[in-house]
Amino acid sequence: MSSWYEASARQRIDALADPDSFEEFIGPEEREVSPHLALFDLPEQFDDGIVVGRARLSGQPVLVAAQEGRFMGGAFGEVHGAKLTGLLRAARTLRCPVLILFDTGGVRLQEANAGEMAIAEIMREIVLARADDIPVVGLIGGRAGCFGGGGLIAGCCSTLVISEHGRLSVTGPEVIETNRGADEFDSKDRALVWRVTGGKHRYLIGGADLFVEDDVAAFRRAAIEGLSRRAALDILTLADEQKRLEHRLKRFGAMTEPRDVWAALGVLRPETVSGLATEAFLAEGLHKRENAHDAR
Amino acid sequence: MTAWDTQKKARYGRIEAGSRFAEGKVVSKDSLPRFLDAVLKPGDRVCLEGDNQKQADLLAGALAGLDPARIHDLHMVQSGVVLPEHLDIFEKGIARKLDYSYSGPQSARIARMLFGGQIELGAVHTYLELFARYFIDLTPNVALIAAVSADRDGNLYTGPNTEDTPTVVEATSFKGGLVVAQVAEIVDKVPRVDIPGDQVHFLVEAKKPFYVEPLFTRDPGAITETQILTAMLAIKGLYQPYGITRLNHGIGFNTAAIELLLPTYGEKLGLRGKICTHWALNPHPTLIPAIEAGWVEQIHSFGSEVGMDRYIEARPDIYFTGADGSLRSHRAFCQTAGLYACDMFIGSTLQIDLSGHSSTVTTSRIAGFGGAPNMGSDPRGRRHPSEAWLKAGEEADPASPAPLRRGRKLVVQIGETFGEKNVPTFVERLDALELADKLKLDLAPIMVYGDDVTHIVTEEGIANLLLCRDADEREQAIRGVAGYTDVGRGRDRKMVEKLRERGIIRHPEDLGIDPLDADRRMLAARSIKDLMLASGGLYDPPSRFRNW
Repeated sequence: MSSWYEASARQRIDALADPDSFEEFIGPEEREVSPHLALFDLPEQFDDGIVVGRARLSGQPVLVAAQEGRFMGGAFGEVHGAKLTGLLRAARTLRCPVLILFDTGGVRLQEANAGEMAIAEIMREIVLARADDIPVVGLIGGRAGCFGGGGLIAGCCSTLVISEHGRLSVTGPEVIETNRGADEFDSKDRALVWRVTGGKHRYLIGGADLFVEDDVAAFRRAAIEGLSRRAALDILTLADEQKRLEHRLKRFGAMTEPRDVWAALGVLRPETVSGLATEAFLAEGLHKRENAHDAR
Repeated sequence: MTAWDTQKKARYGRIEAGSRFAEGKVVSKDSLPRFLDAVLKPGDRVCLEGDNQKQADLLAGALAGLDPARIHDLHMVQSGVVLPEHLDIFEKGIARKLDYSYSGPQSARIARMLFGGQIELGAVHTYLELFARYFIDLTPNVALIAAVSADRDGNLYTGPNTEDTPTVVEATSFKGGLVVAQVAEIVDKVPRVDIPGDQVHFLVEAKKPFYVEPLFTRDPGAITETQILTAMLAIKGLYQPYGITRLNHGIGFNTAAIELLLPTYGEKLGLRGKICTHWALNPHPTLIPAIEAGWVEQIHSFGSEVGMDRYIEARPDIYFTGADGSLRSHRAFCQTAGLYACDMFIGSTLQIDLSGHSSTVTTSRIAGFGGAPNMGSDPRGRRHPSEAWLKAGEEADPASPAPLRRGRKLVVQIGETFGEKNVPTFVERLDALELADKLKLDLAPIMVYGDDVTHIVTEEGIANLLLCRDADEREQAIRGVAGYTDVGRGRDRKMVEKLRERGIIRHPEDLGIDPLDADRRMLAARSIKDLMLASGGLYDPPSRFRNW
């Protein structure tokens, strides 16, 4: 078993794609670095923290983007964002499914405007791709989690795969604590952070579709499954979505502790959920969780 | 006529005054403020138990709430200044003078208060030094201590975190002082007697456990590849050639990396059973994989560690445990063990100068010493030989006849050339000197003196200071492993090359280590959860270390 959480962006692609099938676009040799970081005397990275290219997955052609969480927390900047936007545009031209390996804290503060615009462009491209019935599968299980604009983009994907270590949300724990105080959300209580934003909770409330072990082979299997799932996004889906969200709000809206949500879902011994191994968790959660859907 | 029993009478007076608020020995929580007001006198020397980890938090809060018009000018003699209340009492004028060892979490505030003159500083000690002074010239009049439980006779169970308690009680109770213990609960029979009841005069039931600081948990997830490289250098370049079996580790990430490399890298080198068998060490969670893989024979501990209790109880062959099954730690004994019975101390530091002096103070923080200087010093009173000790002695002084030559304890500083936030570890002048100037101290607070340091390990290599024959060689040996810091770039290249030829400096390639092999995949555990799994579910990590 090899950890997805521990792996770098390039190691993840290597483990995910068929052997020797990956071909990188705008690789580090082109030194397409951020035009902004130098102004802040910050180090650049030749791939700007995202690796994009084409590969084969179980023989099927796919486009892949992998964020490197160890460079600036995997944050979206101008170049980083443009590489993903371009990849998604190519997906529509080529009618080729896309895998996004998220590992991001959101937008890079040093290039916030460019980063925010990139988020909007990426969301738009995903929606257009899905309107053309092209699957866009998100995989979440890296160190930086998937926060900020990353969380919004993930919400647009056709399928989301998450591991226990994976975290998915918009506003990160530190930001909530800074703005609302530790009583509102104690970002140092890591067990709480994972209970609220972590993979198990997201899976149980229907915020992610597939829950996997923190293992590159498990992510690969889930990615293959994800490609075969329904991708279309139309007005009917959105209407259903709205209904589901209203239902979720009514059912869980007043709760402040994920364990209460799990109890309401009928999960036995909610206090043990965080400690359960993958298999035992799936056995308990698979049929009790909210149906996975687009409302994330 | 001279009275020879004034202390005994004074204690009797305190017991009488306190008994008005007690039933037998038991003082209720509500009467605690009035009780303390009755038993304390202005100018008393007080030990408010603040250890490295456990804290008499209830008693600290009550002491801080006293009326400074009645109780003032206390002289606090305690090893740890850890809780805010420990300093509140100075701000309020209840206490005036302080002798202590360690002030981790309060290091910035204590520095401000020292600069502001709110605290009259006696001295900053090492643990053993302060404990020694409890029996010579800093004997407490009143000790306010913490235990897990007590019976009504005052027999105390201190649980896994015994730490300083027996030492404090010994000095106080046998010299006419008064001992007051806060306990989580009063029971009919304690699980084991750590402190006999006749040494304890009053009890307060806190109805909750005392506060314990988890100090020794290092998340494997945060260990960097540079730290792994330094760990590989240490294992192959020091542990193996010196045959280090008895040792103490500091609490940094570099030594955590060493612990996690034993079952992988160490195993590959065939070192199981040959190194790292006997330890003076807190129950580090990062040592679990090595223990489970059969590397470790025994460990004596200064204190315990949060979450490790069940694991320790299940491994009594490894740890020192009581009849009840739980850990018995003891800071004074373990410090002595680390000083006299270990052949190596290895730890990280914040600053190292050109003579090898190291310090963890910066101009705005006074963290104190704790136990590192006891561990990180060569004991001049040692007389028993060991392979490592004799070999190091020979390297330092090859000319003396062997039967008359002292051995040397290995004192190793390990770290990256640039530490946290990319601050250089190597400096021309220690911040400690500036602090000593500012506070008009006779001594700069040096954690480990240069003449005790035998080796420095960085990602650039190992400097063996034992082999240096003069101050010049020493300086160049230090510069020679200082990487791209200003100190490192100021090296005399030719001389450093010569030192390398003589084996005084050794780079990874000189030891057959490829830096590219320093990969996190080599760690026996890469997350706190891995540690929990390695322990068979016995280790119960505190919430703040979880990522699940």
